Amino acid sequence: MNTNISKNNISSIVTKEPKVTKKKLQDYGWAYLMIAPTIIGLIILNIWPIFYTLNLSFHQNGDFGSSGQFVGLANYKRLLSDPNVGSATLNTFKYTLVSVPICIILSLLIAVLLNTKIKGKTIYRTIYFLPVIAAPAAIAMVWKWLFNADFGLINYLLSLVGIHGPNWITSPDTALISLIIIGIWSGIGYNMVIFLAGLQDIPKTFYEAADIDGAGPFSKFFNITIPLISPTMFFVVMTSIISSLQVFDYIYMLWGTDTIGLEYTQSLVFLFYKNSFLMNDKGYGSAIAMFLLVIILIITVIQLKLQKKWVHYQ
Amino acid sequence: MKRNFKKLIAIALSTAAMITVLSGCGSETTSDAPKKSDTSTKQPVTLTYAIWDKNQEPGMKAIADAFTQENPNIKVKVEVTPWNQYWTKLEAAATGGELPDVFWMHVNNFLKYQSNGLLMDITDRLKDSKDVDLNNFPEGLVDLYTADEKKYAIPKDYDTIALWYNKTLFDQANIPYPDDTWDWNKLLEVAQKLTDPSKGIYGFSAPQIDQEGYWNFIYQNGGYVISEDRKKSGYDQEATKEAIQFYADLSLKYKVSPTIQQFADTSSNQYFESGKTAMCLAGSWMISEFGANDYVKQNCDLTVIPHGKEKASIYNGLGNAVSAKTKHPEEAWKFLEFMGTKEANMIQGQKGAAIPAYKGCESAWIDFNKGFNVKAYSDMLEYGVIYQNSKTAPKWSESQKTYMTKILSGQVSVEDGCNQLAKEMNGFLDSEK
Amino acid sequence: MNRKKRSNHIIIHIILIIGAIGMLLPLFWMLKTSLVSLAESTKIPPTFIPQEFMWSNYSDVINLLPFGKFYINTLLMILFRVLGSVFFSAMAAYAFARIKFPGRNLLFMIVLIQLMVPSQIFIIPQYMLASKLGWLNSIKALIMPGIVSAFGTFLMRQFFMNIPDELEEAAILDGCNRWQIFSKIMLPLTKSGMVSLAIFTALFAWKDLMWPLVVNMSIDKMPLSAGLASLQGQYSTNYPQLMAGSVIAILPMLIIFIVFQKQFIEGIATTGSKN
Repeated sequence: MNTNISKNNISSIVTKEPKVTKKKLQDYGWAYLMIAPTIIGLIILNIWPIFYTLNLSFHQNGDFGSSGQFVGLANYKRLLSDPNVGSATLNTFKYTLVSVPICIILSLLIAVLLNTKIKGKTIYRTIYFLPVIAAPAAIAMVWKWLFNADFGLINYLLSLVGIHGPNWITSPDTALISLIIIGIWSGIGYNMVIFLAGLQDIPKTFYEAADIDGAGPFSKFFNITIPLISPTMFFVVMTSIISSLQVFDYIYMLWGTDTIGLEYTQSLVFLFYKNSFLMNDKGYGSAIAMFLLVIILIITVIQLKLQKKWVHYQ
Repeated sequence: MKRNFKKLIAIALSTAAMITVLSGCGSETTSDAPKKSDTSTKQPVTLTYAIWDKNQEPGMKAIADAFTQENPNIKVKVEVTPWNQYWTKLEAAATGGELPDVFWMHVNNFLKYQSNGLLMDITDRLKDSKDVDLNNFPEGLVDLYTADEKKYAIPKDYDTIALWYNKTLFDQANIPYPDDTWDWNKLLEVAQKLTDPSKGIYGFSAPQIDQEGYWNFIYQNGGYVISEDRKKSGYDQEATKEAIQFYADLSLKYKVSPTIQQFADTSSNQYFESGKTAMCLAGSWMISEFGANDYVKQNCDLTVIPHGKEKASIYNGLGNAVSAKTKHPEEAWKFLEFMGTKEANMIQGQKGAAIPAYKGCESAWIDFNKGFNVKAYSDMLEYGVIYQNSKTAPKWSESQKTYMTKILSGQVSVEDGCNQLAKEMNGFLDSEK
Repeated sequence: MNRKKRSNHIIIHIILIIGAIGMLLPLFWMLKTSLVSLAESTKIPPTFIPQEFMWSNYSDVINLLPFGKFYINTLLMILFRVLGSVFFSAMAAYAFARIKFPGRNLLFMIVLIQLMVPSQIFIIPQYMLASKLGWLNSIKALIMPGIVSAFGTFLMRQFFMNIPDELEEAAILDGCNRWQIFSKIMLPLTKSGMVSLAIFTALFAWKDLMWPLVVNMSIDKMPLSAGLASLQGQYSTNYPQLMAGSVIAILPMLIIFIVFQKQFIEGIATTGSKN
């Protein structure tokens, strides 16, 4: 049994459980103080709206602040038997499972390359960051043109090698693939920045020692870079999964609300938006949002528990 | 030094944040308005007028200025919020009790706002008004903004659907331009002549759009979308199904129109503006975009929409409404009243904003748009069919989209698709009781 | 050794250039569209080089919209959101990462939950809050949603967790209190984290479209993205003008990134001396 004896704390010797010392209380005090602004801010700005939405999900026909009639779990029951929700959930998962790993691998690769001593680093980094700051309208226009079945660049290039390109956006086989490609492309810039920050944090000494031992680039990458970047990797994996499960913007920009092909790409957030804002059914839309929240919560908790297995903090 | 400065900022920021967050008590939004509305005293008042079209801002400002000239104590601030955000913003404002004093209302949202008591009931004021007579406006529009026999908005403008055509393509094929004698058979005949797959040119354009598309055909064939009493869907009527069949055949059977898949990549307007379709249907609101497009200006014109068994063109119009909770009901009403006069509508037409709803004022608008035969739009008003609406319209219009998509892509037959749509629609309509 | 390094570098460049072309495509498209006429912008098949260079799109859009006000509003919005979120997030992140206080895990979940819901659900409740505070149609309203950051707290926590324990223990033995440890020792070690957070906060603020349009009324209280949105009509949009405006709007973000980027490079020089 460890007892902490500090000068002013003689009473702690007497108490049976010397776990909470004055020092620890001071620590807790600092901790609560330091998290206070963020926690209070988040509760007011974000947590309360989540409860507001939860409340809406138990009602029907609410408008303008009045929740409407209380219907208990009716919206949730409807949700579980709605084929739209089923297909949206499937689309959302497929999208996440494919785009997240590919995007992360590519971003890490680019970040590693841009962390070496090559010329023109700043220019490359800026170029790779550009998709993130380009106007969404421009991005939508570009991809619409790239995927255009009759005049688009991709099908044109395919025709040069004798392949008749598909109807990317409207065909059941390729609609989701188009969305995935756009998702990967638009996520690289973000993840690259975070990986670069993580790479900076790896002390040079590790690499220098490895060089002395004669290790090659691959060995250094797998034995030094990967483990030491795991905290950053954890962050990127978590945030990528969370945001991919909420994919919406590009679906709305390219498929709108009435284009054929929507059923192959519509996501849960899209259904939420459609019901809450277009079909005037805030109760059902809110239920969908809560449903998604539960899914994401479960996945996040699993990831947090798993982090002990593979994330290595210094 | 740097550290201490950082610390200072830190402390200042956190204290400021804490204070503002904790203060919470509503400080009044600054406004130069008196606390209670005064009907007799001439206190200066500023009204807020919300609109969603930046192109029409000059026109609305001109009307506001003319109003202030006659009522020097009342100023009007025109606020533009783009269409995509307008309704979210209006809803947030309504929820927070901060609706603008006067605002544009669209048929799609009218019933939602009206049934929640957010619009001022202007029935009595209209009866007593010397300046506004509802007989000067198209009956369908007046009805659109009437609920339970009470009036909630004054029509502002109207739009109809016309047939646009590419003169150059017609000239090349030596075919006379469309006119008011055209019917469905003529339309199909010419569309077939002008369709040229080798050049990727289509004779006509039949996308999955209701107001600018298949609704017109339904009414031209004597069918209907929703019954007059708004209780039953018209999609299971033979006349309606016939019309939908004709419309779907244009792209699926006769191949004179791009398919729904192609429209997903390229919009109907884009096809027309690139000279890839010889004809298309377009609402009067497209005039500003077509007019700014050099290709369309030089090569295209318009005429009235072809008729079927009957003449029909879908028309719609915006209304001006006053918030039920405005702090200045008398002044807001005065402004609304002014906007219902001939004078205000003439200004609207002169500035080319939109076709004024006031009968007779369309001449000003026609003069403004000299490049095209825009008279065709106003000519169609006499056989215009008002935009279809009901309380659950947001829901059944989604069903409409779903089934029409299936029909136009050939996934489902017209017969089956329409019957299923009618069933779903009736389900929603029944719930409105 | 040198030749191997050179050929390695060439391979790296080739890979990067191929990727860069893909990245540059939308920017190229923005530029091209901003320089064509309305007719040419909607043409199918599209053109690559403008048939006629319409520089007037730029002068038109500058005359149409108060860009000066947009820049100022955007800068203020970004500045205060960055200051607030970096500072508050770093503080909270340090506590979450390095102090084992009761309720730590639960409170961290509360932080994370904000990331797991569609952002549209915040709009109306936050509007009501802004309305109660009397902040409608103001810069304060623009800053409000971004003054604290769940994303930032999570990001900074990862960086704080990655600092070796020995540094802290040494400081505790020296008699420093938590605040001193945080501000004098730990915070400077997370420089690259703070810089990325600053970049992201600036980015999210700059991109925020729906919130400014809902909470503010007059066009001169709009930041860049929201101000440009007024060019989008119900049925049609003048894309050349919109693109011209968007090109003008990118400049602040580009500058912020390039400037902060240099911080990264400086970071390499100082990080080595961590131990």
